[in-house]
Amino acid sequence: MQFMQASENADSVTARFEPVEIGLLRLAASQLIDLLEAAETHRLGTSGDPALRRLLPDAYTDDPEAAAEFRRFTADDLLERKVRNARCLLATLGEEPLADVADEPDDAELNDADTAADDADQPVTIDLDADDVQAWLRTLTDLRLTLAERLEIGSDGVPGRSDDEAPFLHDIYDWFGMVQESLVYAIDV
Amino acid sequence: MPKTDERLDLRDAVSLDHPWITIVWDDPVNLMSYVSYVFRSYFGFSAQESERLMLQVHNNGKAVVATGNREAMERHVEAMHGYGLWATLAKADS
Repeated sequence: MQFMQASENADSVTARFEPVEIGLLRLAASQLIDLLEAAETHRLGTSGDPALRRLLPDAYTDDPEAAAEFRRFTADDLLERKVRNARCLLATLGEEPLADVADEPDDAELNDADTAADDADQPVTIDLDADDVQAWLRTLTDLRLTLAERLEIGSDGVPGRSDDEAPFLHDIYDWFGMVQESLVYAIDV
Repeated sequence: MPKTDERLDLRDAVSLDHPWITIVWDDPVNLMSYVSYVFRSYFGFSAQESERLMLQVHNNGKAVVATGNREAMERHVEAMHGYGLWATLAKADS
């Protein structure tokens, strides 16, 4: 996975992803949308979920009333935009493959099914226009901020969590960072 | 001069006397390349200025990235939250 400027259009970038990477992005973006849509904006300031508090932090550090007022006027819109960005990322990933079809005994005997199974293992080319890039950059940030809270990453950058799931989450966290950096470099020439 | 204009002038004067600032805080998550990119693309800073402010955030824990009236600073903070950066606003003298 490495984003590069699309040769025919300076505003567009392109990269090839493994199907497993596409699946991971799809799952993570869907979960982010669920989290954002379940958020109650009027209670965000006191939300029990540190990820939501980090995604929409207090705008005033020393004035709780002003912070609450700011939230009242901006939180709904910010959440809506974050959901829209994540949906845009999902849309650029293309149709979800119907993995079960190839497992049907009837289909396995058809030549077409073999081709379909082969295609499912092939890297997928993802093309992003300028708007898609913005949605990807922001969604990857929101995903990393959320994962960092789940991993209890401290101000020193070290995760506080060390259970069985933590290494897997940390790999995803690092990989999202790699994808994002690749995007920044691709558009920043 | 109509009264409304006088009120506008007064408001501008107050804003100038007591400017507000937008502060971006360091966080362990956002990549240096991304923070620098946000400063460049949103505020329109030069590559050099964006890099300087990004390093200030990284090394000093925070940087003042804009100064102006309160409404403008609130718009900046909202935009920064849209990018996922940790930003706040405050009175310049506080």
